[in-house]
Amino acid sequence: MEDKRFLNQIQRWRVYWLYWLKSAGLTFQSLMATRFASVVFVVGKFFRFFFFLWFLLLLKERIQTVVGYSVEQLVVFYLVFNLFDMLGQIFYRGIYWFRNEIVSGNFDFKLIKPLSPLFQIMTSHTDFLDVPLFILVIVFLAYSMRSISFIEIAGFVLLTVVALMLITAIHIMVAAIGVITTEVDHTIWIFRDLSMMGRVPVDIYTDLVRGFLTFVVPVALIFTVPAKVLFGLVNFQALLVTVVIAGIFYWLALRLWRYALTQYSSASS
Amino acid sequence: MMLAKYWQVTKTSWENGFVYRLNFLMWRVRSVIRLLTVYFLWAAIFQRTDGFLSYDKAAMMTYILGTGVLATIVFSTRSIDVGTEIAEGDLSNYLLKPVNYFAYWFSRDLADKLLNILFVIGEIGLIIFFLRPPLIMPTASGLIAMFLLVSILALVLYFIFSFLVSAFTFWYPEHNGWPIRFFVFVLLEFLAGGLFPLDILPPVVFSLLRLLPPAYFMYYPLQVFLGRLSFWEGVGVVSGLIFWIFLLAIVLNLVWRRGIKVYEAYGR
Repeated sequence: MEDKRFLNQIQRWRVYWLYWLKSAGLTFQSLMATRFASVVFVVGKFFRFFFFLWFLLLLKERIQTVVGYSVEQLVVFYLVFNLFDMLGQIFYRGIYWFRNEIVSGNFDFKLIKPLSPLFQIMTSHTDFLDVPLFILVIVFLAYSMRSISFIEIAGFVLLTVVALMLITAIHIMVAAIGVITTEVDHTIWIFRDLSMMGRVPVDIYTDLVRGFLTFVVPVALIFTVPAKVLFGLVNFQALLVTVVIAGIFYWLALRLWRYALTQYSSASS
Repeated sequence: MMLAKYWQVTKTSWENGFVYRLNFLMWRVRSVIRLLTVYFLWAAIFQRTDGFLSYDKAAMMTYILGTGVLATIVFSTRSIDVGTEIAEGDLSNYLLKPVNYFAYWFSRDLADKLLNILFVIGEIGLIIFFLRPPLIMPTASGLIAMFLLVSILALVLYFIFSFLVSAFTFWYPEHNGWPIRFFVFVLLEFLAGGLFPLDILPPVVFSLLRLLPPAYFMYYPLQVFLGRLSFWEGVGVVSGLIFWIFLLAIVLNLVWRRGIKVYEAYGR
């Protein structure tokens, strides 16, 4: 009985994997069909990344520290920000198309399939255009962190899982708000703008803003805490609190999503 | 009579802004978040230092908050939709009407700018009230007049520049011209001086960037506002703006004429 359930679960994961492969393949084909646009987007992303990096390096010539962090540490914060920001962009780009599905009623077609509608929505447009820069950021990060201890690496891996949970939870919440209010675009862009506050450690903000970025929209937990763990600045209690908050946040996101589905009116379908 | 129809367009666009209230409010929230991000970064930098190159804290905080106002005056635009109209063939609707397409969009832009200016005054007021940054305010009426003149010219220059970017859609209608627009946004974010004053860049880079149109969108108007330019340097900025406005207007005219020839009204 247990074996059969296990095999069923494996089979289920395989279906999701094949679904993602197919949908990602289609997205890749569409990117190739508009090659010029794709190249311009990729070059633009590189420019944006290097311009801010350049700005940080310019600071290095003039100042010693910013809120206690050296400019080299600020660069690591910026790299970690890019790493997790792009992870969300690569896998959950589909959220940007979700409003159209809601207002047109096409979301119905997602609901009737034997697959999680959330999975279908969020993974529908895997963004390969972020992949080149994503790889570069990993290389830069690995280089700048080449001499850290095993404990710090283990902490970073754990917080990477936490960051992914939180990014997923926020995208679920945006989708849920989309179902309830039909507003998605601005909600996700407000999250993106708040995320930009994580390009630098949240310690630079006032207590009120920092509290908001920790407990309301957990930008601090997604971007700042994982970077801090690389410098050995996060103790075990703080790590535990981060994991618990992420768990609560994820649970709340799923509750909100389930509630949102009861409010879906299938307008225009 | 000629102006009356464009005044009507401005009025309609103004009213249109109040119809999509939530949309507009969300946009303003995003603008404030972006401004605060840069503000706090510079505030943190000035925690441990009295000056950064030739800027003291008051000058830098004024500059950064000033970019929030300038972004509203110069960059607020509805004409960003021109690319979509070209790509989707909606431009045909205007070609058949007795309206000047540029004047039509400029009228719409004016309404958008006025609405945004109204909000940004309140937002900056709240930021100053709550965060109490040290600020430099010009007192000389000549300086204020020069700042207003440079800002208005910068607004006109950006309008023409933005139209040129949209005109690219005649040849590359993919994604409604958004890729090029995205690329230009990325460049302007840094080259217009929104994140930092351009003169903190290495002298070689600055001496090149100071000559290009993006420097006139934010950097120069704020230099005037801060009183960092002499009278004749101010005159030089006005001359530079007029030069770029004429040059880009001529280029836009040529590009637009060629664009109309290749325009095929896809999707109609």
